[in-house]
Amino acid sequence: MSNVATYSTNGGPYAIEAQDLSIYYGSFRAVKNINLRFPTHKITALIGPSGCGKSTVLRAFNRMNDLIPISRAEGVILFHGKNIYDHDVDPVEIRRRVGMVFQKPNPFPKTIYENVAWGARINGFKGSKTDMDALVEESLRDAAVWDDVKDKLNQSGLSLSGGQQQRLCIARAIATRPEIILMDEPASALDPISTLRIEELIQELKKNYTILIVTHNMQQAARASDYTAFFNMDADRAGYLVEYNQTDELFTSPKNEMTEQYITGRFG
Amino acid sequence: MSQPPPDQPSAAPAAPATDLTTLFPQGEGIQAQIARRQRNATIWRFVFLGATSLAVIILTTLLLSIINQSFGLVAEQTNIPETQLIVNYQKSLMLEASNVALSSEDDAALAEGIAADAAGVGLLGNAYTTQNQDTLRALSIGGVAPTAETVQSGAYPLARPLLLYTTATTVADKPQIGAFLAYYLQVADEVMAEIGYFPLDEATLAQQETTLLALLGATELPTIVPAEYEGDIVIAGSSTLNQVTREVAKRFRAEGFQGAIKITSVGTGAGFAGFCAVDGGVDIVNASRTITQLELESCRANALNPVATVVGADALAVVVNAQNDFATDITLEQAGLLFSSAVNWAEVDAGWPAEAINRYIPTTDSGTMDFFVATVFAAQTLADLPYDSLVTVFQANVSAGRCRAAEAEQRFYADRFVCDTEEAFTARCEGENPTTGCTLAPRDHASLEALVQAEVIQPEVLQAWFLAESIFRRDEIVATALEEYPSADVHFRRWLTWDFITRPQSATPELAGVRTAILGSLWVVGIGLLAGFPVGVGAAIYLEEYANKRKRFNSIIQTNINNLAGVPSIIYGLLGLTVFVRVLEPITSGAIFGVGDPTTANGRTILSAGLTLALLILPVIIISSQEAIKAVPSSLREASFGLGATRWQTIWNHVIPNAIGGILTGVILAMSRIIGETAPLVVVGAATLITSDPSGPFSKFTTLPIQIYQWTARPQQTFLLIAGAAIIVLIILLFILNIFAIYLRNRYARRIG
Repeated sequence: MSNVATYSTNGGPYAIEAQDLSIYYGSFRAVKNINLRFPTHKITALIGPSGCGKSTVLRAFNRMNDLIPISRAEGVILFHGKNIYDHDVDPVEIRRRVGMVFQKPNPFPKTIYENVAWGARINGFKGSKTDMDALVEESLRDAAVWDDVKDKLNQSGLSLSGGQQQRLCIARAIATRPEIILMDEPASALDPISTLRIEELIQELKKNYTILIVTHNMQQAARASDYTAFFNMDADRAGYLVEYNQTDELFTSPKNEMTEQYITGRFG
Repeated sequence: MSQPPPDQPSAAPAAPATDLTTLFPQGEGIQAQIARRQRNATIWRFVFLGATSLAVIILTTLLLSIINQSFGLVAEQTNIPETQLIVNYQKSLMLEASNVALSSEDDAALAEGIAADAAGVGLLGNAYTTQNQDTLRALSIGGVAPTAETVQSGAYPLARPLLLYTTATTVADKPQIGAFLAYYLQVADEVMAEIGYFPLDEATLAQQETTLLALLGATELPTIVPAEYEGDIVIAGSSTLNQVTREVAKRFRAEGFQGAIKITSVGTGAGFAGFCAVDGGVDIVNASRTITQLELESCRANALNPVATVVGADALAVVVNAQNDFATDITLEQAGLLFSSAVNWAEVDAGWPAEAINRYIPTTDSGTMDFFVATVFAAQTLADLPYDSLVTVFQANVSAGRCRAAEAEQRFYADRFVCDTEEAFTARCEGENPTTGCTLAPRDHASLEALVQAEVIQPEVLQAWFLAESIFRRDEIVATALEEYPSADVHFRRWLTWDFITRPQSATPELAGVRTAILGSLWVVGIGLLAGFPVGVGAAIYLEEYANKRKRFNSIIQTNINNLAGVPSIIYGLLGLTVFVRVLEPITSGAIFGVGDPTTANGRTILSAGLTLALLILPVIIISSQEAIKAVPSSLREASFGLGATRWQTIWNHVIPNAIGGILTGVILAMSRIIGETAPLVVVGAATLITSDPSGPFSKFTTLPIQIYQWTARPQQTFLLIAGAAIIVLIILLFILNIFAIYLRNRYARRIG
């Protein structure tokens, strides 16, 4: 199909790039004129006050917004040099290569094993039963949840605790071997200890994956990310990108006054 | 904002109170306010409880009223009772058998005959057996020999009471009769033992005395002085009791009785015939069995009400010649064989010699014969008789014309005729109006049984009472019924029986069943669901998962589906009539596949009915499936799409498995709805009276609700009662189907969760 696939996985310094991206819900413009490039194998945090459209931006990178019938994107998102909003691009392929972890843990009401194996299976994983077992184990190990679940792979994914469920969802996402993983506030529904474990896990994952993470927790962004993009809401209620820089620079010497006010907690 | 009129005081908003906390109740006011709220809650709780109770009461009343209709006393009359038919048939077989050496009412002659015949076997009362112990030997039955103990305990199967029958009128008119009976009871034990019969146990004797007191209208049994009585006494009946009665009469006369006592031994049956006739002249019947229903009816028809007095017991013995050295113990079945179909001894028991059996039996009027046949063949019903015998029974009990008509309807044998003739049959079948018998295969056993039931036995319920009155006013009902319907038998009857469920429909309510209707219902509901389920679920999936709800066209479709759920079902019937019965007739009649029923080649088939009902349940299934699909959390869809699943993979692997419970609940509701549907099926053309089971989707059909509806429309009370029973069947059927569906649903739901 599309020529997205003709590019190699680690083709360049940037894994995905938004150019002049605006997203509309019906006639309402939710975000406007976003220009962002995400470095390969780095963690980029998207921060900003509530309602500034950072989740909307994140979900644009695997065309998840398509599921909302009234939404529409203008501008370009380049993935391996190809605009993923072109008409000849199948969103199924984008989502297969750009995985996602959601705010609330949402394992399938199936067994733990099946939660991990299903994505691989529908995406044409051709291994034997042994290969599949190995893939499930490796994914669960990489998601740092193997030791918790190895004895109960046939139990429902819903029987796990919230933190375990979220790591299961991460295992599910990495089992299909995506290039990029989008994380939409992955720790917001979890307790502090689970949150910490997820943050550690993300650090591990960046060796193999490019990670985009939306968070409303500035400490988390400061601790866990290499780059940070700060979004704000304009007077027309549309979100826009205020500042984008390496995380330590953005937090230590913000160039924009609004950024400084936000990271010092004076609004948001 | 409108300004307030100038002449009114200022309506400027009041300034808020300074301390808003004071606006809450304070101190005890807090508790008072909470108590008020709780009171309110309590009131509502009772309102809801009341609503629930009301619903339960209404439903219970409904159920009870249905049950009330389905059970109860009936006054039922038959032309000939089934047992009688079988007794008559077996008796005639016994009497007409080629190896009957002697058939006589004279027991002494029978005893002599067996004594002189080494291969002889006979039926004798105990007295004759004991009196001829040198030449005769009684066989034990099932290991039990006829003795006083086994007879009184009931262990000996051929033990029977010996009775005297008379009527209250006779006793009132002729005091000598009452005196003779009282005297009889006083000396019975002694005489019985002397002659060779068995005396009564004390409890039975006391019972008889009470009966006698009621008959005499006395409070205390008088001491009978025979010399005080005069007038004639005429006694007739059983040869078994003959000896005893003669002996009692002898003593009665010896003590000074002035009148004449005339005793004849004609057999119990003939005794009752004389007794029940208007001027029969018989005062007392010697009976070696209880009175039959038929005899009772003929007595009552002449305003005679027979009263029985048990005077002793007899063991009917199967006796052989004393020289017979092989037969000692037989089973009851072997006893039956010995006197019916077996011709030589080896046929009864393989170890016995293959010599001819010579039978010495009483005549057709004998109570002994009736008792023997009724006991040995007690478990037999029409179903046990061979086909040929049933044909014989039928032929013997209906007129020749009726028999010919039945044969014209459906033949008895493929290769020969029973009542019709080859010429007449051929002529009719080649004529202008061939009867159904020309094409139908010959009757099978079950349909012949049904024919005998309907034409020979002819059960007829003259009146029926509901369960409640049957329980609370039983005695009153029995008394009224005896008076109003002297020939009827009053007994408790369940209308809902296994027979009722397994019999086909019939024009005679007493013989009608619901098998045809149950099968029809299952077929129609099955086809309805088979067609309605995939279409309904498919439409729901499209509307929920694919269609863009913001498009006007889709919202119009949605609104229409919602409205269709409320359209009266008769409209669907009219639609089905037009589309399935008329337009698609070649398909729905099966003609296009060449499998249609040639006699009913039109579209009024199970297929049309099923498809019509499928239309009817479409909205229900669509709406409930839509609700179930809506209830699947969108986070699951997102998770699936996020992994790169296509929409179909998402629907098939996540949406449907999680919605299937709700979808199947909708299907259960739909099933409940169509199993009780009547109106659309009437329009589509359900058959009114159909006795053949549906054989496939192209058959004519009827369903349970249709059957119930038609029965309730009949004027006869009996149809109303079987309609009640059919309603219970319908409820049970629905219940079973629902349980099955719920089981399926839970099974699937568990596997997913």
